[in-house]
Amino acid sequence: MTIHDLRTRHGDASDGSADQVGGRLSRVDGPAKITGAAKYAVEQQLEGLAHAVLVESTVAAGKVRAIDTAAAEGAPGVLLVLTPDTIPPLKTASDWFGTPPPDVPYCPLARDIAFSGQHVAAVVAESFEQAVAAAALVKVSYDEAPAVADLSDPKAGDGIPIDMMTKEWGEAEAAFASAPVRICAAYNTPREYQAPMEPHGLIAAWQGDRLTVWEPSQWLDGMARTYAEWFAIPFENVRLVSPYIGGGFGSKALALSHGAVAASAAKMLGRPVRLVMSRPQTFTGYGGRAATRQTVTLGADRDGKIQSIVHRGVNETSMGGMWVEPLGSVTSVMYATPNFSSKQNVVRVNSVVPGAMRAPGENPSAFGIESAIDELAYVVGIDPLEIRLRNYAEQDPHARKAWSTRQLREAFAAGAEAFGWARRSPAPRSMRDGNQLIGWGVAAGTYPVRRAYGEALVRILADGTVEVESSSIDMGQGTYTILAQTAAETLGVPADNVVVKLGDSRFARAGVTGGSRLAGIMTGAVHKAAGAALDQLVGLAISDPRSPFHALQANTLVVAGGRVSSPRGDGPEVSIAELLASVGADQIEAKGDTMPANSTAEDRYKAYTTIATPLTHTDGDYSRHSWCAHFIEVRVDEDFGTVRVSRVVSALDSGRLYNPKLAESQWKGGIIMGIGQALLEEGIVDRRHGRIVNNNLADYLVPTNADIPDIQTISVGIPDPHSSALGGKGVGELAIVGVAPAVANAVFHATGKRVRDLPITLEKLI
Amino acid sequence: MTSPTTIPIHLTINGHDHSLEVEPRVTLLDALRDRLDLTGTKKGCDQGQCGACTVHVDGERVLACLTLAAQVEGRSITTIEGLVEADGTLHAVQAAFLEQDAFQCGYCTPGQIMSAVACIREGHAGSDEEIREYMAGNLCRCGAYPHIVAAVRQAALEVQS
Repeated sequence: MTIHDLRTRHGDASDGSADQVGGRLSRVDGPAKITGAAKYAVEQQLEGLAHAVLVESTVAAGKVRAIDTAAAEGAPGVLLVLTPDTIPPLKTASDWFGTPPPDVPYCPLARDIAFSGQHVAAVVAESFEQAVAAAALVKVSYDEAPAVADLSDPKAGDGIPIDMMTKEWGEAEAAFASAPVRICAAYNTPREYQAPMEPHGLIAAWQGDRLTVWEPSQWLDGMARTYAEWFAIPFENVRLVSPYIGGGFGSKALALSHGAVAASAAKMLGRPVRLVMSRPQTFTGYGGRAATRQTVTLGADRDGKIQSIVHRGVNETSMGGMWVEPLGSVTSVMYATPNFSSKQNVVRVNSVVPGAMRAPGENPSAFGIESAIDELAYVVGIDPLEIRLRNYAEQDPHARKAWSTRQLREAFAAGAEAFGWARRSPAPRSMRDGNQLIGWGVAAGTYPVRRAYGEALVRILADGTVEVESSSIDMGQGTYTILAQTAAETLGVPADNVVVKLGDSRFARAGVTGGSRLAGIMTGAVHKAAGAALDQLVGLAISDPRSPFHALQANTLVVAGGRVSSPRGDGPEVSIAELLASVGADQIEAKGDTMPANSTAEDRYKAYTTIATPLTHTDGDYSRHSWCAHFIEVRVDEDFGTVRVSRVVSALDSGRLYNPKLAESQWKGGIIMGIGQALLEEGIVDRRHGRIVNNNLADYLVPTNADIPDIQTISVGIPDPHSSALGGKGVGELAIVGVAPAVANAVFHATGKRVRDLPITLEKLI
Repeated sequence: MTSPTTIPIHLTINGHDHSLEVEPRVTLLDALRDRLDLTGTKKGCDQGQCGACTVHVDGERVLACLTLAAQVEGRSITTIEGLVEADGTLHAVQAAFLEQDAFQCGYCTPGQIMSAVACIREGHAGSDEEIREYMAGNLCRCGAYPHIVAAVRQAALEVQS
């Protein structure tokens, strides 16, 4: 029996009222955030809370010779000093693919030092102030060994080839050698840091063998799995709570060693323990974006048509861990070329293992190819926008599949029109305003549509209000809001009547919030769960003898605005609450998930606690990506070389937007982080000690309000049914991709100087 | 090692009097967050670089992480929790932040709002350029800056009218 039509609604980017999917509903979690009522993870007030502070290594390589804890242990208020010798060993946990771990103990405090800033000890005290003071009294001595400071270190070498990154077709080297126009250049990006405003930290509390962790998290179920494996307790015994997250940008997806330290301390003391990294510790307590090097060679004909791309990339990783930043990801899909070769190495340095930061891979990859094609444009004398259209890829050149949707041509057209690109004077240094050189640059960006699975629970309560529960999270993308809109639209109730509960691992399961996958997955899951709840509601109304609709003998009913009526309007009209009361139902509850129907419990556990998922973006007949084009104006002071971004117009194809108001905010946020990457952000390594010297927010420069002009974003997306249930593609990662090359291209247009090392600081221009 | 010493302090926060026994080294930020459950004021860096802990002392914006609790004895402190009127009406700046979507993760937001209220009061919201400059001490990593400027501009007009 099909009681109600589960047809998926596909509209344009701004269909419907604010209450519906596609509407500009203001953030439903907004009131809590603007009044200070939103409690972030470590703000829980718990009885008996103790405070832990980490002690970090001051050398980048070597061994801990001794740790003198006497002074710290005697300091006022100190409860516990943990060292590698006193912290109980844990079990090694599986990685994020779920690979079974080696059966060796795991110690979250290090004896063998592989990077400066590694946790070597921790002090727990009655108050935060006491713990900070006592931590300064812990004396660690080392047997220091030579360190590889960074990619430029002569000891770094060429690194390890990562064969799975190799992509080749045609005869790239030969085609390059015979091409009439050949360019070759190296492009470098430095270490960059996510720097979310909320530092990493947690509160851990034990009740017997059950662990509760309040921790900002992009992946409750994945982190719960890690804690469970470390402490050898059942997965169900770990509860992760994370209702609000103060920014993540990729950095809050994994349980990290500081979490193991805090949970160990809480277990040893039998008290809840709070541990929050200091801001400097956040630069080494987890990895930022790896430094990268790329060589891009383009062979082309004299009309600018690319004949060959040869790409070689390198990223840094740590001595013990493995991080691959896929540098050929944009290179291999952006332009049509008959011949292509991309290979990548990783180089081990004495650093914390790098991690995910907004569009890992695509971001530095785009800096290479989108700078290189701009260089080609000037060599062959073709407008930088025109050369991109001339090499437009009509299908995925690597996967050789049709694009699901690719509104990139539309993005170029809409962006160029709004920016006024036609008025651009082609020659470098040909536009100025007094002593300011003006440059206009363009670059494209892309991000694959990552898909996975999710569950949601939808509950219609006796008073007619609706609850949605999911262990997915909202770190500012707008999950609370779009899931309220999805449930409201599907059920036919006002969004005001929907309460969305997220950020608790006891709720229906969800995988990692990363790679811009959450919105597409979770709107699909909520749509399904709400549809099932509506089926139940209407089914009761039709079949229950106590229902006012029973005599109607209708086979369906309409629910709109929270009221139930017959399609022809010939029967009663009652509220959902009145209907539930009439049939004596306390509530209606339905779970929906997007897993294949025959999935086992083991499949589900794997789907939600690992990133091993069978759904690639080129699965089936299509290649699925989001696309964007950035048009940027810079003003460069001719005497001082200072660069200011004065205008940005970006046109973006994220498919259907679930809430344009919130999507625009995310796009602008990505563009702003991209401006930071282009002009400001660089982790500076002291080569003598392998230490990040600008490990704070005054020296590691992120954009301030005064650095950012007004930004215009234009949605050119259309619903993409191949990418998600409701037609959206990715939003959050996309917009940063291509910003840095657009700025660099604008700087070249302004000054005639090509800067291939980010960030573009003034000494590179004068 | 000497034993910890505490001092009694009396703070007036959002119109309410609080008596505390704290060590002299306790910052206003930690007193608010850890002793008084006023966690709306955020700790982003604890070293005066990010602005997330901005509160008002006698109506002027200060960084609570660089202010000792004992320094503000007897002075009038306003935090984000004290900005809403008694009947629950949002301050014009709060309402404008919601309408303009001037935040995402929300962690810098209380500090941004406290700075914005002071920025308008100081007479530094006369133009977008002026707002950008006088709001530059409050970092927002989500990148809500253009919407923050729009919210401050909107609220400034409402406050003045």
